[in-house]
Amino acid sequence: MADKLNREALFITLYQQVFPAVCRYIHKRGGVLDDAKDVFQDSVIIYYEKLVAGALAHHNEKAYLMGIAKHLWFKKFNSKQEQVTDNMLSHLINEEANEPSAAPLLHYLETAGRKCMDLLKAFYYDQLPVENVARLFGYSGTHSTSVQKYKCLEKVRNTVKQKSLSNEDFIE
Amino acid sequence: MRTSLNELAAIEQQLLQAKQPDEQLLFEAKMILNSELRENVTAQQQAYALIKQYGRKCLKAELENVYQQLLHQPQHQTFMQRIKQIFKRT
Repeated sequence: MADKLNREALFITLYQQVFPAVCRYIHKRGGVLDDAKDVFQDSVIIYYEKLVAGALAHHNEKAYLMGIAKHLWFKKFNSKQEQVTDNMLSHLINEEANEPSAAPLLHYLETAGRKCMDLLKAFYYDQLPVENVARLFGYSGTHSTSVQKYKCLEKVRNTVKQKSLSNEDFIE
Repeated sequence: MRTSLNELAAIEQQLLQAKQPDEQLLFEAKMILNSELRENVTAQQQAYALIKQYGRKCLKAELENVYQQLLHQPQHQTFMQRIKQIFKRT
């Protein structure tokens, strides 16, 4: 499922089926197209993470996405306190909103270690099985793929440790 | 795998997989006694958080790419007109 082409097909479907309803909702509450696009995209990210983790009990993806979108809209653009009915959803959205920014470090890793980051993303974020990762990245087998995963993770971990030692942001 | 990679795998098991309470206690005891292990665990947790941030960044870019396709490709023209119409209503 988490293969790039499959993702693109899924996203086109979600845009076609759910984005109009999100637009109507946000327009009624004074938002513009860009607001609707941002809220919709953030909602799909939250939905995707639940999907790849196998944590989605819902079968109505439209209703689920609308629920996330409504909550994100309230959080971003409303000052009123809103009752949260779904605690798990609230936790996910809170995590999304309160994520600490490590922009300079991430930028460094993206530029200096792009292939590693892509490999690690395939394992840990897209949660692809090791066989799929081996095929995607052209490794000879699952053992060599796992070894490469740990080598990449070691590189990222060492970068994090170096940064905390020097206590400086990575600059270009 | 070399020793350092085995250590990464062991820390990963502790951080990402559900453990029995006694295994967890043993690992926490090791961390108290070994400052390098403590440092590695903290750094590895941060590494996983960075991978997640990277994943989200890539996903957002893919979503934006799809949006641009919907905006500009002729086969999606009717759909985007419908969307723009929503925001023209008073």
